[in-house]
Amino acid sequence: MTRKIALIFYILFAAVPVVCGLFYAIFYSLGLTGILSDGLTLSHWEQTLSSSTFYKSIGYSLFIALVVMTISIVLALWITISWLQDLKKGILSYMIYLPLAFPAIVMAFFSFQLLSKSGFLSRVAHSMGVINQLQQFPDWINDAYGVGIIFSLCLLITPFFIILFSNLYHNERIPALAHLAATLGASQNQIVWRVVIPVLLKKSAFTIFLFVLFVMGTYEIPLLLGRQDPSMLSVLIIQKLQKFNLADIPQAYTMAVIYVIIIGTVVAILFYGKPQFFKNSAQ
Amino acid sequence: MIKRICQLFFAISIFFAIGFLVVISLGGNWTYPALLPATVSLDNWRVMLISDSSLWKAFLQSMLISLTVAAVTTTAAFVTSKHIAHSKYRSQLLLLSYIPYVLSPVIIAATLHFFFIYSQLSGTIVGVMLAQFFIAYPFGVIILNNFWNPRMRSIEELALTLGSSSWSTWYKVLLPISKNALLLCFFQTFLVSWFEFGLTNLIGVGSVQTLTVRVFSFINEANIFYAAIASCLLILPPMLLIWLNKRYIFNTQTLI
Amino acid sequence: MTNIPLLEAQNITKSFSGELVLRDVSFSLHQHQVLSILGRSGSGKTTLLKILAGLLREDSGEISLSRKRMNETPPNKRNIVYLYQDALLFPHLNVFENVAFGLRLRKISVEQLKAQVNHLLDEIGLKEHATKMPNQLSGGQRQRVSFARALVINPKVLLLDEPFGALDADTRAQMQQLFKKVAARYQLTAVFITHDLKEALTMGDHIGKIENGALRLYHSPQDFFNDHTNGAQAEAEFWDQFTKERQ
Repeated sequence: MTRKIALIFYILFAAVPVVCGLFYAIFYSLGLTGILSDGLTLSHWEQTLSSSTFYKSIGYSLFIALVVMTISIVLALWITISWLQDLKKGILSYMIYLPLAFPAIVMAFFSFQLLSKSGFLSRVAHSMGVINQLQQFPDWINDAYGVGIIFSLCLLITPFFIILFSNLYHNERIPALAHLAATLGASQNQIVWRVVIPVLLKKSAFTIFLFVLFVMGTYEIPLLLGRQDPSMLSVLIIQKLQKFNLADIPQAYTMAVIYVIIIGTVVAILFYGKPQFFKNSAQ
Repeated sequence: MIKRICQLFFAISIFFAIGFLVVISLGGNWTYPALLPATVSLDNWRVMLISDSSLWKAFLQSMLISLTVAAVTTTAAFVTSKHIAHSKYRSQLLLLSYIPYVLSPVIIAATLHFFFIYSQLSGTIVGVMLAQFFIAYPFGVIILNNFWNPRMRSIEELALTLGSSSWSTWYKVLLPISKNALLLCFFQTFLVSWFEFGLTNLIGVGSVQTLTVRVFSFINEANIFYAAIASCLLILPPMLLIWLNKRYIFNTQTLI
Repeated sequence: MTNIPLLEAQNITKSFSGELVLRDVSFSLHQHQVLSILGRSGSGKTTLLKILAGLLREDSGEISLSRKRMNETPPNKRNIVYLYQDALLFPHLNVFENVAFGLRLRKISVEQLKAQVNHLLDEIGLKEHATKMPNQLSGGQRQRVSFARALVINPKVLLLDEPFGALDADTRAQMQQLFKKVAARYQLTAVFITHDLKEALTMGDHIGKIENGALRLYHSPQDFFNDHTNGAQAEAEFWDQFTKERQ
């Protein structure tokens, strides 16, 4: 009995809001509700699917997510493996946690003050005579490649993965595996490439997958550091929702629905196609 | 040697980030291309924290929201995660917990906003707390789920056969053993709430001014000095928590 | 000894998602007797003990204690303690408090509690470790504390699920001795499950074997030995070859 109540409570707060929101968005996107609604229509879907903005935004979000994750994971692997002993004790073991105290919005503000044309690095370059005027400093904020966004997100995510990897390193008994590999004749390099890195990546695969999706949906960093076109998905949707042009609102909901469908499909395929993926690492 | 230099660089860059924000918060009149602000004083802090009480208000309001969300979330997650962990459908149920992160909190907030307006919770503290609970609660369940392993179940059963009622088993066995897990859950969900911006801004519609919302509006007003003060206030409590609880956080592998 | 059995199980049947785990298990156990049951993992032994302890509900069958039907009695009211292979000491309590756990629930006076716990700690040879935390103890010591924690509440029946399975050979032998001694002194009634042939024979007054969910009881140790499926004969033959060689 208690179990039933507990599970109902969980579903009520974890799933029902999302489902309600999704239905509202579907209704809105089909013209069934909203200020300007005048009956069932597929026009918002047609508009969204035929304009390039949405595809560009999805592609841009995926691009940023993949670049950020690649950089963060490579950095984190490198730091974890080469600094292992220092990360366990001493000042570094505390320092590594400090970046986690930065909310995304503060990280974005910091990156802006550091990388913008009038930012700190530009001033340093100026004082060192590398540039003569502000305009010569490269575009790293609101730029087409999202340099500022990527920089900021990497600062947020890398420390997290360093902690994750050094945890896994001990929990998965990698030192013992490495010794075993050495007795089997593996060199130091072979141990790193054939044992340590594969084990770490395999054990963190689920978390990495979640982070790719998490970065794709990130909001405040691209809001402050990104440009209008292309913009990351969350920013695009919220902008369309909050614009004065009421006709844009159904399109925003259409995009939200499509995004949910895409992510839902990916997760469902993985969940039913490779259930082990969730069981092993959903911890 | 190279390793030492890298480590030193790493340590310096972390302190640089904190120091940089502090210097901006103390600064004034920072024209290009000066490396540092022309004036460095406590004036900004004095104005923000003494003359203009709105930042204090934002700080206290954020604290109230985050502490409440963390306390309610931890309690609810502790009780329900046990039943989820012991359920036949454990992995399906847990999958639900990842939804808010996978779908982005701000997008969920966008689709839910209508319901908050309809129930007149939009723009209220309670509304913001409820919206944050939708995000923090699944996260709390993820954190506590691992705690309910088969061993914990055996301990619970053993207590029962020794004559303990289910209430005293909760109170005398499960609660004391789970102290660390609960603290971890409390801190992590506190951070989820404390760091939250998009959803809070949308549901709070500008009336609920948390610290993150204040940072954003200062940036929009191009008032970088005040934005830096608000940023410092934002990173201070988590830094304290992280410092105090390094070893608890060390055991988690979940989302920030 | 009266003729009324203390613990009686009749036709206990249990299945999990369509798979029969226990089929018509019946036995009776008189006071102050130990029934040892030989069982491998997956034989249904743990399910049987959990049902007797009230931690699982049987699909059908009767369980009675002193002729009183127990099926609906919750585990905390049965006074049947179930001990695992893992000592499962409460990690937040020291040795003394672990042993005192059951007594504190029963709200007896502090002096009485102290006396009883100290007496038992003395009995199991851990008096000087009373203030230690579980993680400061060896495997054998932990199992002893777990044992004392059960004995102190004077349970009607003790259920032991491979209690010494995780211990090394020497410690295991010591623990068997200790159990025999304590069982005699406290006149224990117990069901002892093991996969070790010799342990089954040494520990029990009666012997049974559980296999594929069915329980078979033997009339005597000789009867047990004669059943060639137990492997006792093969074992005897193995050692016998050396005896012959010596002769």
